[in-house]
Amino acid sequence: MKRKKLAPKILAGLSFLAYFFLWAPVLVIIVFSFSANRYGVAWDGFTMKWYGALFQNEAVKEALIRSLIIASVTVVVSTLLGTITAYGLYKLHFRGKRFLRTSILLPIIMPGVVTGGALLVFFTRLIHIPLGYTSIIIAHIVFSTPLAVFVVLGRMQRIDWAWEEAAMDLGANRFRTFLRVTGPLLMPAIMASAVLIFPWSFDDFVITYFVAGIGTTTLPIYIFSQMRFGATPVINTIGAIFVAVTIMALFLQRAIEKKNKAF
Amino acid sequence: MGSSTAAILLQGNTAKKKKKIFSLEVPFYMGPITFLLSVFVFAPLLIILFYSFLKSGQYGEIVYEFTLENISAVLGAGYGGVFLTSLYLAFQTNIICILVGYPLAYYIARYGGKRKVLLISMIVVPSWVAYLIRLYALKTILGNKGIINSFLLNLGVISDPLEILYTPFIVMVGLVYTWLPFMVLPLHASLEGLESSLLEAATDLGANPVRRFFRVILPLTRGGLIAGSILVFIPTLGDWLVPALLGGSKVMMVGNLVAHQFTVAGNIPAGSSLAIMLAATLLLILYLAIKWGGKEAMERLV
Repeated sequence: MKRKKLAPKILAGLSFLAYFFLWAPVLVIIVFSFSANRYGVAWDGFTMKWYGALFQNEAVKEALIRSLIIASVTVVVSTLLGTITAYGLYKLHFRGKRFLRTSILLPIIMPGVVTGGALLVFFTRLIHIPLGYTSIIIAHIVFSTPLAVFVVLGRMQRIDWAWEEAAMDLGANRFRTFLRVTGPLLMPAIMASAVLIFPWSFDDFVITYFVAGIGTTTLPIYIFSQMRFGATPVINTIGAIFVAVTIMALFLQRAIEKKNKAF
Repeated sequence: MGSSTAAILLQGNTAKKKKKIFSLEVPFYMGPITFLLSVFVFAPLLIILFYSFLKSGQYGEIVYEFTLENISAVLGAGYGGVFLTSLYLAFQTNIICILVGYPLAYYIARYGGKRKVLLISMIVVPSWVAYLIRLYALKTILGNKGIINSFLLNLGVISDPLEILYTPFIVMVGLVYTWLPFMVLPLHASLEGLESSLLEAATDLGANPVRRFFRVILPLTRGGLIAGSILVFIPTLGDWLVPALLGGSKVMMVGNLVAHQFTVAGNIPAGSSLAIMLAATLLLILYLAIKWGGKEAMERLV
């Protein structure tokens, strides 16, 4: 009897340690973003000056805008492409479907250094696309689209297709049906893939590092270049803001979900 | 007779019509992705495959002369050792992720209750943003002048700071830290699917908790275990940032070599051959894992 009560306690303890491990670096970032230590690596008393420095920093602002543009374009194109592809994979039968389905996994499986290296060689040696926005966005679409495909495909296996049949029976053509019936039914999955892809693209360092070239510094690349010169407290403030925004976004998403469920 | 002919005609007509739409639909829906994959995934991979058999000139130009030097260099002692280190680190990371992730997933699935969603998000959220900054924070914690060292020095437990930075140990910690969520999520999914009646049956039949775990729970969650292992092992083996930031030049993984050849040394044939060997190794391992793990693991993955 006693053992039965002991097991959950041990599990809870182990889980707590795991959570601590996952969150300790996050807490360190947040705490040290308010520390007066000029290297951002120890506690030297409370200050807000790094946040002030952050908002004055033009390089950060530019990098942030670049990253936002890249992530936004990537999200729009990838979710659109992913939805079309998932719809085709679900509805159509054709030769080579299995091969195509497996191939879509390839960009997810390939390590960033392989995808990045291969694209770098491809862009610079073969099709001569100048490195910059175009090359970065193409690379991001390549690794984001598979995510959208599988998220939307997962939802397609669960929705009620009778709605679509009804619309078609009532005389709507495929395009109209998709726009008015199937599309809205898939909307939660499309949104979910967008929510997944945005931070994925925004935060990507490895592949971007390969194909960015000189001058198109995204935020992660800026952060990396700052780290190489040693720690700066401004980096901690960026991290702290990221964490805060993510948590807020999560709550917002949860609230929207609850509202949708109420309907 | 008239009506049946009409029916046949009609049938023939609709079949024809269907076929026509069909033939247009496939290119419409599958065309864009086929284009994307063939131009920006297959073509680049084929090009680096091609380049890996060429020579590199003195100034980083490509000499169009066939050679097996790059490939043999990968298999040779220098690079071969790095491949082995990477495999070893990835394997070790995988085991630790299972040891840490299993109790966590089990706790959430069995005792999570109403807080389940919160507990899951608390695993996912840290992995979403500021990847670089979090790794840097790990360095701040474990570094030679880091939090742990200053704490232990102040307590007088140690007299010299522990040399944790730039060791295989800290690289492994970083890898576990980065990829642990990918182990917990599939494990949790398969533990959720576990029928509690089976566990009760095992207890009723006299199995003690340890026996019950090894004979009932573990075999039933094999799919999640394999899926999680695939999701951890594959990215770990090809990781570059963790060894680059935490291992410095002392702990090298294949990713470091690939990145170095492409971006610093500018030796495209060497980088290409390393990248191709890394990709081939991963695909081989993935193939074996899926073959061994079977359908259940695949279902959890896709």
